Amino acid sequence: MTPCPDTLCRHCLLPVGRRGFARTVNGEGCQFCCYGCCIAHQVKSGSGDASEAAWFLVRLGVGSFLSMNIMLFSLLVYSGAFSGADRRVLPTIQLLLWGLATPAVLILGEPFLRETWLQARQGRLTSSALIVLGSLAAYAYSTLAMFQPGGHLYFDTASMVLMLFTLGRYLEAAGRARASRDLAPLLAAESELATVVEGAQEHRRPVREVHAGMLIRVRPGERIPVDGLIVEGSSHTDEAVITGESRQIAKAVGAAVLAGSINLDGPLLIRSSGAGGESRWAQICRSVRDALRQSSRTQRIADRLVGAFVPIVLALAAMTLVYWMQRLPLDQAMLTALSVLVVACPCAVGLAAPMAHSLGIGQLARHGCLVRSPGALEALACTRLIAFDKTGTLTLGRPKLVDLASDGVGEAEVLARLAGLERHSEHGLAHAIAMAAIARGVKPIVAGNVRIVPGRGLRGVVHGESVAAGSAALMCELGWRLPRALSERAEEMASTGHSVVFVGWSENARAGRARAVLSFDDTPLPEAGATIDALRCLGLRVTLLSGDHAGAAARVAATVGVDEWQAGLLPEAKRAALDQYRARHGAIAMVGDGLNDGPGLASADVGIAVGTATDLARETADLVLPVDGLWLLPWVVCRARAVRSTILANLAWAFGYNLIALTCAVFGLLQPILAAAVMAGSSLLVVLNSLRLERLPGPSYPSTLQSTGAAQAASEPQLREQGQRRELALIKAES
Amino acid sequence: MTYYALLFLAGFAGSFHCIGMCGGFACALGADPRGAGATLVRHALYNTGRLTTYCFLGGLAGGLGQAICTSLGLRSDQGTSFLSASLDAGQRALAVMAGLLMIIMALSFFGLRGWHRVTSSFGSSTLVISLRSLLRRPGLAAPLALGVLNGFLPCPLVYAMVAQAASTVDVLSGCLTMAVFGLGTFPAMLAMGGLGRLLAPGWRRHGVRLAGAFILVMGVITLSRGVVPMASHGLHHLWHLA
Repeated sequence: MTPCPDTLCRHCLLPVGRRGFARTVNGEGCQFCCYGCCIAHQVKSGSGDASEAAWFLVRLGVGSFLSMNIMLFSLLVYSGAFSGADRRVLPTIQLLLWGLATPAVLILGEPFLRETWLQARQGRLTSSALIVLGSLAAYAYSTLAMFQPGGHLYFDTASMVLMLFTLGRYLEAAGRARASRDLAPLLAAESELATVVEGAQEHRRPVREVHAGMLIRVRPGERIPVDGLIVEGSSHTDEAVITGESRQIAKAVGAAVLAGSINLDGPLLIRSSGAGGESRWAQICRSVRDALRQSSRTQRIADRLVGAFVPIVLALAAMTLVYWMQRLPLDQAMLTALSVLVVACPCAVGLAAPMAHSLGIGQLARHGCLVRSPGALEALACTRLIAFDKTGTLTLGRPKLVDLASDGVGEAEVLARLAGLERHSEHGLAHAIAMAAIARGVKPIVAGNVRIVPGRGLRGVVHGESVAAGSAALMCELGWRLPRALSERAEEMASTGHSVVFVGWSENARAGRARAVLSFDDTPLPEAGATIDALRCLGLRVTLLSGDHAGAAARVAATVGVDEWQAGLLPEAKRAALDQYRARHGAIAMVGDGLNDGPGLASADVGIAVGTATDLARETADLVLPVDGLWLLPWVVCRARAVRSTILANLAWAFGYNLIALTCAVFGLLQPILAAAVMAGSSLLVVLNSLRLERLPGPSYPSTLQSTGAAQAASEPQLREQGQRRELALIKAES
Repeated sequence: MTYYALLFLAGFAGSFHCIGMCGGFACALGADPRGAGATLVRHALYNTGRLTTYCFLGGLAGGLGQAICTSLGLRSDQGTSFLSASLDAGQRALAVMAGLLMIIMALSFFGLRGWHRVTSSFGSSTLVISLRSLLRRPGLAAPLALGVLNGFLPCPLVYAMVAQAASTVDVLSGCLTMAVFGLGTFPAMLAMGGLGRLLAPGWRRHGVRLAGAFILVMGVITLSRGVVPMASHGLHHLWHLA
């Protein structure tokens, strides 16, 4: 029955940790991180009559009924309502209080007692031990005091402390479950069921049992469980989980759909194109689960402190008791020690970091940004400098034809021959040439006998004449003349960092000559400039580390607005450059495409990969942005900072509050019931403070770039609002 | 007595507002298959639970008021002659606060709804979801628990009454204030359980207005108790005479 410390709580999806425990709910073994989650889960998953489901709430309700009555009568006694002539009813009232308190302590205290017992058998003391000890002491003392005339009773303390802690834990669990709402669709990939169509029959099967080629039916409003092609039906889908952009995409028969996207309005029949467990969605799911299981440094320190806290508090309570016993009557001294026990319950400290982490990871993941570990988020928040790779990160990663200078021939003539020739090549420039030919409506002329000249270019035969394309060196080797105008132009192009290609052909079987020169360039992404600006506004230094030659790096740097750049860096040199920056600026992040700059990403404090095409499981980056997701980076940084400041605020609050309250308790300034209320309130405050993260705005596409981007950004909050309204309507309809 | 009659009426009128949320629970609690007697027990337990919560809140608020006044009295304790005066000051401050709160809430009944959003966000949705699971449970404990927890549902009417209870500056009076208010909600809620159907929305709107009017009147009286020191004694007399 000992839970594995790195599973996730069934209810709030936080790691179960060491104080977790296992229960059977509806015949299914479940792991929970605390008693509160256990109640809340049973209440939520209970189907009305299912025996155990609502039992916990009944327990809480009846316990509250008893303890509120106890409290009421005790208050009346304290306020002197039974003084004077009514004094003779006091013994009856005392008996009544005992009669109410005994079941209350049994009903409310049993779960805490059981937790204490289970943990004690494993040689651990947890905070529930403090609660049990405190309330049992108050109960036992009061029972004995009933037999002494004039003795004070503290049944109210015993029952209210238990009730407040039960309530506090329940509310805390409810808050945490709400925090994990964003995570639920991301963790669903493994447990989701798919409706598999086999002949005339439909079966519900787990996604991992779905293979390529199976037919899956997806109803409107459902999540598409596997990658596939639409066989029947048409609909709109929302692929926010995968691409980070929440918008409606029209899909008809033959269109590809992604696992994890939501089928919005039409029934679909899709043919699975791969195994259910291998979709990107399933990979995201595994990655998020792994991230949640890890703990950051802050959290580990907090956990260690909490572990050390309980024995210290026990000792402190004993010392308090001994000290006050010499100065006050026994019952007063005991109350003081009791306050110490109750007020020191460090629940809020254990909650400070994990909840903010899960909120942060969940929200990032909902927009397609994957975080490998909570530590990465905190590190990103501390980062002062972001280094960018150039190719494929700030630029499209695909060269484009930018200029064509010819000598006595038409542009179309040049492109037609070149495109025909380059069809046989797989060089990066070949694609650019084909695209340019299509864009200008030029039909490639079929080339034969094409040979690649390694490192120089390629040559072939078109219409019986030899054609060559490549560097100036190739032209020289062939003995072809290079007109001076062309070579001057080529030099000019190369000096600004463009790639240059000469094209030439022979005429009437005589020696050919170069007839045109083309320049190619990798264009910066449209959103790169706005992203860099936004990052700079966040107080970050931005630098460019490129493996390309200086000219190209300088031009891209100037276009997107980066002041600092280094060019011609081999992977090793990039790492050295990062080390240098780290020495000067502290923590640094490196942004790359995840393909060519693995070492760079790994050596930075936070490696960020944009639109990685590789298998997520092999990805080394700490943070993975979706394809074309560079524009999300400033938002991600804001999020990371918000998460970190929330954690710091939570910790400061929890520790500060505990210390102040503890001091007050030691000096006898705090009533035990008040202390319990204060502690329950403290956890609740930490929960509410963390939930504030939910209200931060989502990412918005730089509005200067595209009107569609702006429209989408505007539609997003509206969608969310609709969701909330629907939720409210549901609550109303059911209540 | 007028005071308690007013509270009872506020509870009675206000319960037509309650029907929207709590009445739903009373309806859903429904009839017991074992007959009318068992049904009555179920609903009686549910309402007892609710009343207990109200009484508890009232007693707590009264005690809190008392504690605040006493501590204020002790802090400005420069001479015995000042004690009674400062006690009076603390009580007056509480009355002003309670009165203002009640007036704000009364206004919210007439359509200024800003307050409602604050109260019905996190807390109520959590509670409502929790409570739903209790509804269909057999046995006597569940209706009691439902009633107890239902009493904690965020409701401006209850808050207004709790503010009133705090301004009484006495545990017993605070408890009685809430008890009378709670009893006032009994007829409508029991009828809900018996009739098993919702009242016409028009009636509910009237009920809400009426409750708002009662709370407004009480808020103004409470406020005037605090603001007009001369009148406070006179009003007090009137209060108890009536």
